[in-house]
Amino acid sequence: MKENNKKIGKIFLWIVLVIVAIIQLFPLIWLVDFSLGSSNEMFTNGLLIIPEKIRWDNYVKAFVDGNFLHYLRNSFLINTLAVLLVVIISIMAAFACQRMNWKLKGLVSTLLVMGMMIPIHATLLPNYKIYSMLHLTDTIWALLIPYVAFSLPQGMFLMTGFIQSIPKELEEAAVMDGCGIYRIVFQIVTPLLKPSIATVAIMTFLNNWNEFMMASTYLSTPAWKTLPFSVLEFTGEYSSNYAVQFAVMALTAAPAVIVYVILNKHITKGVAMGAVKG
Amino acid sequence: MKKKIIASLLTAAMAVSLLAGCSKSNSSTEVSNDAQNTAQESAAEGDEAASETAVASGEAVTIKLFSNLPDRKNGQGLVEQMIIDEYMAENPNVTIEVEALDEEAYKTKFKAYAMDGMPDVVSIWGQPAFLDEVLDAGVLAELNEADYADYGFIAGSLEGFKKDGKLYGLPRNTDIMLIYYNQKMFDDNGWKVPATYDELMSLCADIKAAGITPIAMDGGDGWPMACFLTDILVRVAGTDYAEIVRNAVATGNFSAPEMQEATQILVDSAAAGMFQVGYDSQDYGTTMNLFTNGQAAMYCMGSWDCSMALNEDIAPEIRDNIRAFTMPVVDGGKAGTNDIAAWNGGGYAVSADSAVKEEAIRFLNYMYQPDKLSKYGWENGVGMSAQDQTAYLTGNETELQKQVMDILKNATSVSGTPINDCGPSAFKTAIESEIQGVSNGSTSVDDFLAAIGAACE
Amino acid sequence: MKKLYSNKLVIFSLVLPGVLVFLFAVLAPICLSVYYGFTDYTGMGEAHMVGWDNYVKLFHDSAFGRSLKNSLLLAVGFICIQHPLAIVVAAVLDKLQGKAEGVFRCIYFIPNVISVAVIAYLWKFIYNPDFGLLNNVLKVFGYQGKINWLSQQNAIWSVLVVLIWHGFGWGMLIYYTGIKNIDPVLYEAASIDGANWWTTFFRVTLPLMKPVIQINVTMAVISALKQMETVYLLTNGGPNNSTQFAANYLYQQAFKAFKYGYGNAIGVVFIIICILVTVALNHLFKDKQDV
Repeated sequence: MKENNKKIGKIFLWIVLVIVAIIQLFPLIWLVDFSLGSSNEMFTNGLLIIPEKIRWDNYVKAFVDGNFLHYLRNSFLINTLAVLLVVIISIMAAFACQRMNWKLKGLVSTLLVMGMMIPIHATLLPNYKIYSMLHLTDTIWALLIPYVAFSLPQGMFLMTGFIQSIPKELEEAAVMDGCGIYRIVFQIVTPLLKPSIATVAIMTFLNNWNEFMMASTYLSTPAWKTLPFSVLEFTGEYSSNYAVQFAVMALTAAPAVIVYVILNKHITKGVAMGAVKG
Repeated sequence: MKKKIIASLLTAAMAVSLLAGCSKSNSSTEVSNDAQNTAQESAAEGDEAASETAVASGEAVTIKLFSNLPDRKNGQGLVEQMIIDEYMAENPNVTIEVEALDEEAYKTKFKAYAMDGMPDVVSIWGQPAFLDEVLDAGVLAELNEADYADYGFIAGSLEGFKKDGKLYGLPRNTDIMLIYYNQKMFDDNGWKVPATYDELMSLCADIKAAGITPIAMDGGDGWPMACFLTDILVRVAGTDYAEIVRNAVATGNFSAPEMQEATQILVDSAAAGMFQVGYDSQDYGTTMNLFTNGQAAMYCMGSWDCSMALNEDIAPEIRDNIRAFTMPVVDGGKAGTNDIAAWNGGGYAVSADSAVKEEAIRFLNYMYQPDKLSKYGWENGVGMSAQDQTAYLTGNETELQKQVMDILKNATSVSGTPINDCGPSAFKTAIESEIQGVSNGSTSVDDFLAAIGAACE
Repeated sequence: MKKLYSNKLVIFSLVLPGVLVFLFAVLAPICLSVYYGFTDYTGMGEAHMVGWDNYVKLFHDSAFGRSLKNSLLLAVGFICIQHPLAIVVAAVLDKLQGKAEGVFRCIYFIPNVISVAVIAYLWKFIYNPDFGLLNNVLKVFGYQGKINWLSQQNAIWSVLVVLIWHGFGWGMLIYYTGIKNIDPVLYEAASIDGANWWTTFFRVTLPLMKPVIQINVTMAVISALKQMETVYLLTNGGPNNSTQFAANYLYQQAFKAFKYGYGNAIGVVFIIICILVTVALNHLFKDKQDV
């Protein structure tokens, strides 16, 4: 009896999990499926289609006309730089506010963390004004600065927590050996923060990878446009060809999904650590 | 011979028209319109000018063009790109960088640019809602009107682009509101082009009963529906249209009986299921595709979409059967069949603080040589330009083009600027949003009229 | 040691980059917003001071009211629909051992890493009444009509569904981690007491998850307030402002209606609301924890 109950329970459990998995995945399967057909096959009644002819050329069009490689490169470059800057700046600031002795440290650390409360989109209008006055629009800085600025509070918050948990004795020993502060920060403390750095890096990357509101406001030429633009520009260019639009969406989604699936253990660990703390 | 007759008819028809409208209609029109003779001449001149440029300035110049035509492979976008490519081939020192966004995104970004530094050549609309504030701020370069005397611009077409008698932009098209239909579908089902609005209503009911969407309407964007309302209002008010709208915008009072009647007609039509399910949230592309994929029998849009007839992405059995008619007359309305909703809307201008202003104006002039925008536009099926196109009639036009030409030729009056473009941009934003609410029945007609009145301030 | 750790110059150099970024990218724009909020600046030409006009107007602006209501609705939707689902699924997932656990966790999180641009356009297609996935699914179950998912009445709910779908993995993952952190001894104790799965869930899991739930609820409310991107692409606030949100509205007012000054006034109020809500939630939860 009990065994039976357990079995039913287990089956029920599986059903729930599978249904949720289908809901989460099916739209994406649908996307890929229709991206391989032709546009007029959209107007069928079935859930999925078996394309009359598999049209890889949809992807060729998406790849070439969507400026895919160039935008991917930009996205990658900008995000990597943003992550590096956020990590370095937040370690430095967190260390100073957490460990060192000065009067204003409480105020500064509160201010830096307070950025978390500021809605990023409220700064779109004034920042546009500022950047155009300084001729920063349509440069990499127009993205890098706000990306760093709005990931910094979270980075700062997490780093403060992590640095707190490092035993002071290590630093004391280092001071005995005659280390300066900079060496302590970058050679003693930073290596100990490895898991936390991973967390901050992943959170920053996820935050900014998909951002396009600022990009579409501050940028005009393709020089620094990021991956979401493949999709945004394409829907206008190929408005009469649904299949190609689907192809470009699938293509744009692919890099992040592939990287995630490969690194999923590390990423989930990082996110979990950051989120529970944050 | 035949060409000549059409030509003179065309110019005549346009001369009477296009003066009307709620834009500034008091200034005089000095633009020459006997261009059928000068077309060749000026084309030759243009070539000369172009080669001069190439010789004259050898240093590398980059012109930034900001365009509202993201589809560079069809229709107007293709035409624009063709001219750019030609210009760059003829002037190797000039590079033209294009940034293209679709209409809504374009207008938003344009305003952002207007704040601080615009691209050199931009798409604009010669209508108060778009241009008034822009011209007040002085961000567009003044053009020398005399330069365009022999470009063959249709009489009155430059009016919307002027302020205090000075010219700031050039019109690209003559836009006519049309209802496109699928002739084969009509024939197969025995449907007929309606002569009155009541017939249109019952036609739509028949089409709906057959399980097909009657009219594909881009209601998600708001402006096509406002153009549709304009079209109805023109049927109701006849040539009083412009006056009624001008008064309403000036006083913020939209309660004129014509306004109420026209809005009520729109509401009733939407309630009767004239448009596709979800029309109020669907965008341009989706709506057009509904028609071009045979899911809708009709499609309401301006004459610029005539290029559908030549679009390779559309199945031949559909693209060859696209025809158009204008809004049928409304019972008791003041307008006849030939009073149409049309205007000179879109065009180009040059930025006032452009670093390469002279080069930019040179390029602008190059585009407007009659054998460029007008000719290529015509050849690629893009409806009517704002210049005299009679020199380029080939007899090989698509049926659709011929129809549109006839509509314009037979026009007895032309409305001028559509209602949503007649007020300040706050009014435009308001009406394009509120019209969704009134058409889908969530706002009453009175509330709608009050709300758009309030936006005029 | 103490001297070394009090070196003003060193401290200054360590904090400077962070402070500069904050001043330049956060504080400066806010100050500029406050200034423009008091003007009638259209975005071009001259700006004139108009005092509190913009704020008075904002107070009577029904579209802005609608955006706040929508944020509230979204927050309630997250808390009442997404989070209970996420907790239950996380708890169920926790019971599953072996490889399958990781696979499911991975699948649930996938939508999260996809760009909002793709998600919004994808769902626009899914909601399309003529060929969209959703109506086709209904057809499979025998319903023949076309439902207009993005109509004035339905649109806000449809937006909610997209956001729940997109963010589900994130919420689930956090609850999952929270559950994993619960000491297994407590479960053993419960099962010795003869508690079944449900009682264990309500008596042991939920109470211990309280801090995690509080964090998640705070995040949900904030993200509901800050919503912009999905809405911008999916409905752009329409039809007729029924899916308007503060961020999207200020953008529209500034760049579409040529009311840059008014847009900034909205921005200022928006920032104040966000700060107030965050502080209020933190206080609320802190008090409760003390009890």
